[in-house]
Amino acid sequence: MILHAISLKGWRCFAESFQIGPFSDGLNVVHGPNGVGKSTIFEALVRALIDSHRVRGRDAEALRPWGRSLSPVVTVEFSHGGTKYRVSKGFLDKAYCELERKEDRRFVRFSEGEAADQFVRALLTKNPPGRGLARRDNWGLAQVLWAPQGELALLSLSGDVVADVRQMLGAQVSGPESGRLERRIRELYTGLYTTTRKLRSGRDAPELVTLQERLEDANERWGEAMERQQEFEELSRKVEDLRSRQAEAERTSHELEKRLMLLGPKVQEYNKLLSTRSEREAKVHEAEALHDSLKQCMDNIAKTRKSLAKTQEGCSKLHDELSDRELEARELRAKVERATKNLEDKRKERPKVKEAQDETELARRYLEALQRASNLQERVKKVRKLDQKLKELSGQRSKLVAPDNATIRNIRRTVKAHDEARLRLDAALITLQIVPSKKGNLTVVEAEESGSRTLLPEEPVEVKGSPRVVVDLAGVARLRAWGPVVSIDDMRKSLAKHANALSKLTARFHTADIEALEALNERGTELDKRITKLNTEIEATLGGSPLDDVERELSHVQSETNTILGQRRKWAKKAPDLDRLAKNAEAIRDKFVADVETAEQKRDAAQAAHAAANERKAATVARLEETETRLRDLQETLVELTSDGKTDVERLKESKAIARKWEAAKADFEEVEDKLRTYEYDPRTDLEKLEGLRKSADAEARKALSDQNREEGRLEQLTALGTYSSLAKIEEEIAVLNEAVTREQLRADAIRLLYDTVEECQNQALVAVGRPVEQAATRTLQRIAGTRIGGIQIGEHLEPACVLPQRTDESVSIVEVSGGEKEQIYLATRLALAEVLARNERHLVVLDDVLTATDSLRLARILRILEEAAERLQIVILTCHPERYGALTETQFFDLEELLRA
Amino acid sequence: MRFIHTADWQIGMKAAHVGTAAETVRDERLQAARRVVKLAEQARAEFVVLAGDTFENNGVDRILIQRTADILGKFGGQVYLLPGNHDALDPCSIWEHPAWASHDNLRVLDKAEPVDVPGGILYPCPVHEEHSSRNPVQWIKAANSPRIAVGVAHGTVEGLQLEEPEYPIPRDAPTLAGLDYIALGHWHSYATYPDSDNVVRMAYSGTHEPTKFGERDSGNVLLVDIEARGEHPVLTPMKTGRLSWTVIEQELRQPGDLARVSSMVEKLEDPASTLLDLRIKGVLWADESQELSRIREISQSRFLFSRLDDSCIVPYPDDESWVSGLPAGSLRDAALRLSELADPSYPGERLPGTSFETASRALLELYALVSEVSK
Repeated sequence: MILHAISLKGWRCFAESFQIGPFSDGLNVVHGPNGVGKSTIFEALVRALIDSHRVRGRDAEALRPWGRSLSPVVTVEFSHGGTKYRVSKGFLDKAYCELERKEDRRFVRFSEGEAADQFVRALLTKNPPGRGLARRDNWGLAQVLWAPQGELALLSLSGDVVADVRQMLGAQVSGPESGRLERRIRELYTGLYTTTRKLRSGRDAPELVTLQERLEDANERWGEAMERQQEFEELSRKVEDLRSRQAEAERTSHELEKRLMLLGPKVQEYNKLLSTRSEREAKVHEAEALHDSLKQCMDNIAKTRKSLAKTQEGCSKLHDELSDRELEARELRAKVERATKNLEDKRKERPKVKEAQDETELARRYLEALQRASNLQERVKKVRKLDQKLKELSGQRSKLVAPDNATIRNIRRTVKAHDEARLRLDAALITLQIVPSKKGNLTVVEAEESGSRTLLPEEPVEVKGSPRVVVDLAGVARLRAWGPVVSIDDMRKSLAKHANALSKLTARFHTADIEALEALNERGTELDKRITKLNTEIEATLGGSPLDDVERELSHVQSETNTILGQRRKWAKKAPDLDRLAKNAEAIRDKFVADVETAEQKRDAAQAAHAAANERKAATVARLEETETRLRDLQETLVELTSDGKTDVERLKESKAIARKWEAAKADFEEVEDKLRTYEYDPRTDLEKLEGLRKSADAEARKALSDQNREEGRLEQLTALGTYSSLAKIEEEIAVLNEAVTREQLRADAIRLLYDTVEECQNQALVAVGRPVEQAATRTLQRIAGTRIGGIQIGEHLEPACVLPQRTDESVSIVEVSGGEKEQIYLATRLALAEVLARNERHLVVLDDVLTATDSLRLARILRILEEAAERLQIVILTCHPERYGALTETQFFDLEELLRA
Repeated sequence: MRFIHTADWQIGMKAAHVGTAAETVRDERLQAARRVVKLAEQARAEFVVLAGDTFENNGVDRILIQRTADILGKFGGQVYLLPGNHDALDPCSIWEHPAWASHDNLRVLDKAEPVDVPGGILYPCPVHEEHSSRNPVQWIKAANSPRIAVGVAHGTVEGLQLEEPEYPIPRDAPTLAGLDYIALGHWHSYATYPDSDNVVRMAYSGTHEPTKFGERDSGNVLLVDIEARGEHPVLTPMKTGRLSWTVIEQELRQPGDLARVSSMVEKLEDPASTLLDLRIKGVLWADESQELSRIREISQSRFLFSRLDDSCIVPYPDDESWVSGLPAGSLRDAALRLSELADPSYPGERLPGTSFETASRALLELYALVSEVSK
C-alpha cells in the first residue's frame, strides 16, 4: 500500500481543513516543531485505515479539537495492488465511511459504511479492533511497518500478524495455486475440527460426531438389551432349577408316602400288643389289690385288737390321775381366797390417802386465793388512783377552751391576711400626723375615724382617711390632707372580711392574741398528752379487762378464801404449811400403794397356781375323754372288720387263693411283655417322624411350585419381548455404525494428518524464510553499528530476541544493549521485515520521531540505508529535527508550519 | 423311506456382519424354509426332519416361531423338529410356544424315546442345554429294531479340530447304535461320514441358507432315501439357498489390476441377491484412485450388501508425477512426507495419528483435492 495524501478536518489541532501530500513513493520527511500535529497526522492515518467509522468512547471524543464540537473527518488517498483509492471517514456525530476507487482518472464511489471499513482494514489486518479505538495489536502488518513515537521496539507481534506475515511469506514461497489448495485443505480441516483441534460439535458437527453419538446411544441400548437377554437366560436357568427342585420335592413326598404305607401294619400290631399288655396289667393289679386288701384286713383286725387292749389300760390310768388333779385344785382355790381377802383389807386404807391429799389441796387453794386476792386489790387500788387523776385532768381539759393545731394554723393565716389587708389599707390611706406642742383638741372632720381627739404635747397623733383627711385644730386651723385617689373600698372590705373571720375563729377563745391562743393550744395539747398517758396506764393495769370485772373477780376470790376459812378456822390465824401437808399426803399414799401391790401379787400368784392346777385337771379330763373315744372307735372298727362273719382261719385260706390268682395274672403279663421286647424300637416314633417329613416335603413341593410359577410368569413376560431378536437388531445397528465411524474416523484422521503435515511444512518453510530476515537485519545493523554487536537473532514471533556478539559465544538479550543500539536493532529488523513484505508490492513505512538516541555518525549511515530502502519501500519520517535528515537525497520534505500557514 | 433332512435354520439369527442387509438376510431364512417345504412336496418326501437349531436362540421374537410353524404346517406330511443347542429344551424355550400345537403335522422331538414314522422309527436325541460333553446318541439301542431306524442328533462328530467338542458323537455311532442313518445338525456345511464299509450312514445337511462369508457348501437340504432296513441310504443334496456370499480378494500389483477387479465386480450375477466382501490390497497408481471410488460406488449401490476393505491399499511409492505437479514448497513437501508415512515399512518414529493407513488416506485426500483444484 502506498500513501498519496492525507486530509484532516476537525481533528485535534486541525480544526480547519488541512491537507498534506502528495507523498513521494520513496522518502518523505514531515517536520515541524512540537505540538504542530505530526503525530496527529500519523494517528489520523491509523484511524482512517484501521478503525471503524462508528467507534465511540472517550478516546474517540478526544479526536475533536479542544473546546470545539466538531466532528473529526479524515481522508486518505492511497494505492493498493495498482489501484488508487480514496477513503473518507467521519467520526462521532457524523459518522460515515466512503471508499472511492479511481476509474478513468476520477474517483468513483466503490464502497461505504462497514464494508468500506473492512475493505480498507483488510489491506493491513484480518482482525477488526474491538470496542474503542484500535490498539497496536490490531494494526496487522502496520505493527511492523509503522513505528509510532517512542514505540520503535518490536517486542511481540500479535499472532494473526505473525500468521499473516507467514502466510504472505508462505504464499510467496508457494504461489497462488498453493493458496487455493491450502484453503481447501483448511476448509476440509475446519469443517471437521475447531481451532483447539477438537472435533466440531453442535450444529456444525461433522458426520463422524453424529455417528459417534448414535453409536454411543446404540451401545447404551445394547447394554440394556444384553441385560434383558442375560436376565432371560438367568431366569431360564432359574426356572429349570426350580422345576428340578419341585420335582425333587414331589419325589421325596411320594417316597415318604410309600414308607408310611409299609410302616402302617407294623404299627398296628404293636398297638395291639400294647392294648393286650394294658389289659393283663390291669388284671395283675386287680389280683394284687384284692390280695393286699385281704391281707390288710387281717392285719387291721390284729392291730385293732392290740390297740384296744392298750387303750383300755390307758383309760384306767387316766381316771386315777384325774382324782389327784381335783384335789390339788381345791387346795389352791382356798389359797386364792385368802389372798383376796388380804388385798381387800389393804384397799380399805384408801380413804386416808384421799383425805391427806384433799387437805393438801385445800391448803394450796387457800394460799393461792390469798395471793390472788392481794394482787387484785393492788390493781384495783392503783386503777382507782389513776382514775382520779384522770378525772382531774379531764376536768381541766374540758374547762380549757383552747384551739387545736388546725385552728391555730387557720388563725395564723387569718391574722396574717388581716394584717396584710390592714397594711394595704394603711398604705392606701392618707395619713396626717400632728405633733402638738401643747395641749389641745382635735376634731376629725373627715377621716377613717372621725370625732375629737385630745392633743398632748409631744405626743403625735395620726389621722388616716381617704380620699382626704380633714381635721380641725380648734382655734388654729382646718387641716386638709389629700393624696392620690385610690379606691380603698375593696381593701376595707377585705380587711373587714379578715377581721370578721378572725373574730369568728377566736370568739370562743375570748382572745384574738395569737400568742395567747398558742399558749392555750400548748396547754390543751399538754393536757391531752397526760390524759392519754393515764388512760394507757389504766388499761395496762387492768390487763384489758374492765374494772368491774376485776373487782368482781376480787370479790369472788375473797369469797372462796372465806369459805375455806370456814372449814379451817385455824388458818385464819396461821396459814397452813403447804409443803408439810404435801409431804405427809405423799407418804401416806406411798405406803398404801406398796401394801396394796404386795397383796395383789400374792393374790395373783395364788390365782395363777390355781389356774394351772385347773388346766392340768382339764387336760387330764380331755385325755381321758379322748382315750375313751378311741376305745369306742377301736371297738367299732373291730366290729366292722369282723363284719364279714368270717373267722381268722377262713380269711387266711381266702388270702392264699387270691395270691395264686395274682401269680397267674403276672405270668400272663410277662408273656405279652416278652412279645413287646422283640420290637427294637417303638414304630410309632418312626411313623410320627415320617409323617412330619412328609408334611415338610409337601410344603417344600408347594413352595417350589409357587416359586416356579412365579418365575415362569416372569420368564414368559421376558420371552414375549423377544430379547434375543432385540439384541440382534441392536448389534447389527452397532456393526453398521462402527463401520461408518471407522470409515469417517479414518477420513477425519487423514484430513488432520494432511493439515498438520502441510502446516508443519509451512512452518519449516517459514523458518527457512525467516533466516533471510535475520540475515538482512544483521547486515543492516552491522552497517550501522559495526560488527562488534554481532548478529540479530529473530524469535518465533519475528521479534528481535537477542544479539550474538562476535567476541562471545553467548547471546545477549536486547534489554542489555544500550538505548541507541536498541533503536538501531529494531529499525534494522523492521526494515528487513518490511522488505520481505514488500517483495510483491511497495509498502508504506512510517517512522514517527524514532532514533532520538542515535548519534549523528550512526544516523548518517542510517540515512544511507533509508535511501536504499526507499527504492523498495515508501518511507515517511516524522520529526521535529529536520536538520538531522537534511542529508537525504531525493526526499520530499513537508514543513508543517508552512503548510498550516498556507 | 424317503424324507428331507435339514438343520440349523438359525431363524432369527443376528447378522451384524452384513450391516444394513441384516434384516433381509434374516428374512431370507424364512423364505428358504418355504423353499424347503416346497422342495419336500415336489420330491414327495414322506416327512421332514429338522436336526436341531431351527432357531438361533430361545429368546427370538415369538412372531418368528409362529411364522416358522405356519410355514412347516403347510407341508402335507409330518415334520419332526429336534431341539438343538441353540434352541435347547430350556424352560420357556421356543418349543413351549403354542404355535407347535397349532398344526397337527408338527411334532417336537422332546424326549429321547423312539417315535414311529412312516416307514420306520426315529430315535431322537433332544438337547437340553447349550453346552455338554455327553454323547447324545448313547441311549439308542436299535440293533434289534425290525424297521428302518433313523437317529436324529445334534452335536459334533469326533475328529473335528475343536478344543471342546459340543455333544461329541462317535464316528461309528450308526454302527454302535444299530441305526440305518443318523441325521445330524450343528455344523452349517454339508458333510458326510462313511463308515468302515464306506457307506455313508451319517451326514450333516448343513444350513438351508448360508449364514456368513466363507461358509463352505451351505444352503442345501438332503433328500434321504432308504429302501429297507440295513440298506445303504442314498443322499441327494438339494439347493435351497438363494443369497450368494461372495468374497473377492485381490492384490494390485500393476496398473490395470484395479480395472480388472472392477470388471470382476461388475460381472457378478444377481447382485441384488449377493453379499460382497471385497478386499483389495496392494499399490494404487495415482490415476486409478477414481477407479477405486467407482468400485465403491458400484458395490454399494448394486449389491445387497458390500464391504470394501481398501485399508491395505497404498499409493504407488514411485508414482510421484502428481506430487511433482504440486506447487513447490510446503504442499509438495507435505505430499512427500505423507508418501513416506504411507509406506508400511517406514523406519522412522510414527507419532500417534500417523499410521500408514491414515497417511495413505491423507495422501489420497490430497490427490483428490489437487484434482479438484486443478479443474
